[in-house]
Amino acid sequence: MLDFIISKYNYWMYIILMMLGFYGMIAKKNLIKKVIGMNIFQTAIILFFISTAAKRGATIPIVEHGHGEAVHAIHAIEYVNPLPHVLMLTAIVVMVSTLGVALAILIMIYRRYNTLEEDEILQVKGK
Amino acid sequence: MIVMIVGAMLIYGTLDMPKWADPNAPAALHVSPRYIEKTLEETATPNVVTSVLADYRGYDTLGETSVIFTAGISCILLLRKKKRENSGGR
Repeated sequence: MLDFIISKYNYWMYIILMMLGFYGMIAKKNLIKKVIGMNIFQTAIILFFISTAAKRGATIPIVEHGHGEAVHAIHAIEYVNPLPHVLMLTAIVVMVSTLGVALAILIMIYRRYNTLEEDEILQVKGK
Repeated sequence: MIVMIVGAMLIYGTLDMPKWADPNAPAALHVSPRYIEKTLEETATPNVVTSVLADYRGYDTLGETSVIFTAGISCILLLRKKKRENSGGR
């Protein structure tokens, strides 16, 4: 039972973090808080993928003595899985892009309505 | 409420996930050993992450830079002042 919890609690932590971000996106009225919730959500996904790369007893995916003369066999069991790291590098780029565009759109909304509260914006639009 | 339901479904889904840091997890068995073992002779780069990012998935990285470029252009277009004297600036 304890072994089961130890082997799975990292996924549970990421799910808790992800649901915090999801709650922020759904329930908060302030648009800045929605953007923060979206960022927490994306960070939880990135942490989840990075955690799937881990292997017990393995080191970082940089081949040792890579520039040396001697050619030796490389065992994949000695290095952690590099593919989630690469894919999450791409995901971080997309995350930064979405954050930048979202903040730019929020600045435009603030200039036009002078508020970032969702219900106040809808009230102004309704008149 | 919805958040609780979705979270409970996701935690139910983790019951089938491989154990943390398991060397025999499915993600670590199919293509990643091939990348780790062949990266030195094929790309001469000791860092596997770099070789996958810039050599094997070079077009993906090119698209990634276009994503950044599009985001920057749209930020400039959104934040541009409408007046003449400040046009084009962030």
